[in-house]
Amino acid sequence: MAIPVKPPAAERLRPTPWDALIAALVLGAAVLLALSLRPAPAGPLTAVITLDGQIVAQYELDRLMEPAALPVGGPYPLVVEAEPGRIRIAESACPGGDCLRSGWADRAGDRIICLPNRLVISLTGGEEAVPEFDAVSG
Amino acid sequence: MKHRFSFLLAAFFVFFTGCAGLKGEDAPASAQIFAMDTAAELTAYGPEGQAGVDAARAEINRLEALLSRTRPDSAISALNGAGAGNPVTLDGETFALLALAQDVSEATGGAFDVTVAPVMDAWGWTGGERRVPPPEELAALLPLVGAQDLELNPEASSARLARAGMKADLGGIAKGYAAGRAGEAVRAAGVTCAMLDLGGNITVIGNNPEGIPWRVAVKDPAHPGDYLCVLSLTDCTVSTSGGYERFFEADGVTYHHILDPKTGYPAASGLRSVSVVSENAALADALSTACFVLGAEDALALWRSGGGLDPFELVLCREDGVVTVTEGLEEGLRFLGGDHGYTCETARR
Repeated sequence: MAIPVKPPAAERLRPTPWDALIAALVLGAAVLLALSLRPAPAGPLTAVITLDGQIVAQYELDRLMEPAALPVGGPYPLVVEAEPGRIRIAESACPGGDCLRSGWADRAGDRIICLPNRLVISLTGGEEAVPEFDAVSG
Repeated sequence: MKHRFSFLLAAFFVFFTGCAGLKGEDAPASAQIFAMDTAAELTAYGPEGQAGVDAARAEINRLEALLSRTRPDSAISALNGAGAGNPVTLDGETFALLALAQDVSEATGGAFDVTVAPVMDAWGWTGGERRVPPPEELAALLPLVGAQDLELNPEASSARLARAGMKADLGGIAKGYAAGRAGEAVRAAGVTCAMLDLGGNITVIGNNPEGIPWRVAVKDPAHPGDYLCVLSLTDCTVSTSGGYERFFEADGVTYHHILDPKTGYPAASGLRSVSVVSENAALADALSTACFVLGAEDALALWRSGGGLDPFELVLCREDGVVTVTEGLEEGLRFLGGDHGYTCETARR
């Protein structure tokens, strides 16, 4: 009775068309994954101003041609100042003045808060790299 | 052949299952609320996202009503208004939080103290006009500070303040506690991916929408808009305290809001900021204040000993530009402070 003989090790390790097919499939999967995780276009750098949760104004800071001042009423009147590419609270009658000391906000993810007025300025978008994080502590 | 198909299956598993997240699904549910003396942003992903956000909002509002010192009908107001030596029966939740606050106070040698309220008031940090109290005023107020004189009776679930003029204020721990409870409410609503931002006190639920750990940046306390590092976190809270958050200037001197309960003056421990990461959100909140007061060496000693507290990890930013990160945060850490001259070191047990 003939005993089946295994092919030599070198022959068994030689790439076959199956190997090529598997490599192509894995490569294709990687490309699909990369495409699916590609960040969406960020859009213009936009400042959204909310007062007690309601949007009161919105500025596309990238496209702003000249400075703009927005007086906001509320318990402690304040003035929001927007310039091409950045925004701040320029004046505020609030007791602590923390919002004034926040200075300019000019990047996606930046926030300026005036707690006594319940006012929040949030920045999104912009041409700079999309932030490589999900949240900011501090 | 069998091995090849196993490899193929494994590859597909990694690419399509392991990385599966909620990124491609509908926009997350979100809400902005003002509570706990901060602006909170609540974000929850998935089909139960709106229910999760609603549950978190309700929980935070409930706890503010229970724990705020400025709400006349709160449990803490009842304690403060009872008069010296008079016990007040408290609900189990308020009692447990006061007990945790006392544990932290004991573990930190008084660096965290919920009875520092009279001194905070004198500086104007609780809504009044900010000012530097004269030394004689502070000297008169300091005897009113001392967590050991907030007496808790577990059998009766009651508390009392030993001396006239003492006040309790859970401001240094309530925000974290609320974040933790809100996180539980979000989970109970069936949400597995959410982020609760209570004024920079970040609580993350599960992984991020891409299916990987949440990436939480820590602010650079000296350069607004820049960051010290990015932490890689799942199911925990990171709470950051620093003198840069709230401050004022008088006669050319900057005074920040984190007071050393022993001196009554802003803590000057050589730290610019402290971030504490823990699964216990209330503990993270309280320890970020306490460790800022303690300074780097004592904070690391507390981390090494554990202090009888739940596990926690630290990011310490020193005034000399050294950023110390404890070893539990090493995995996935991205250091970003090099451009501003910071150096990063890892603390080990």
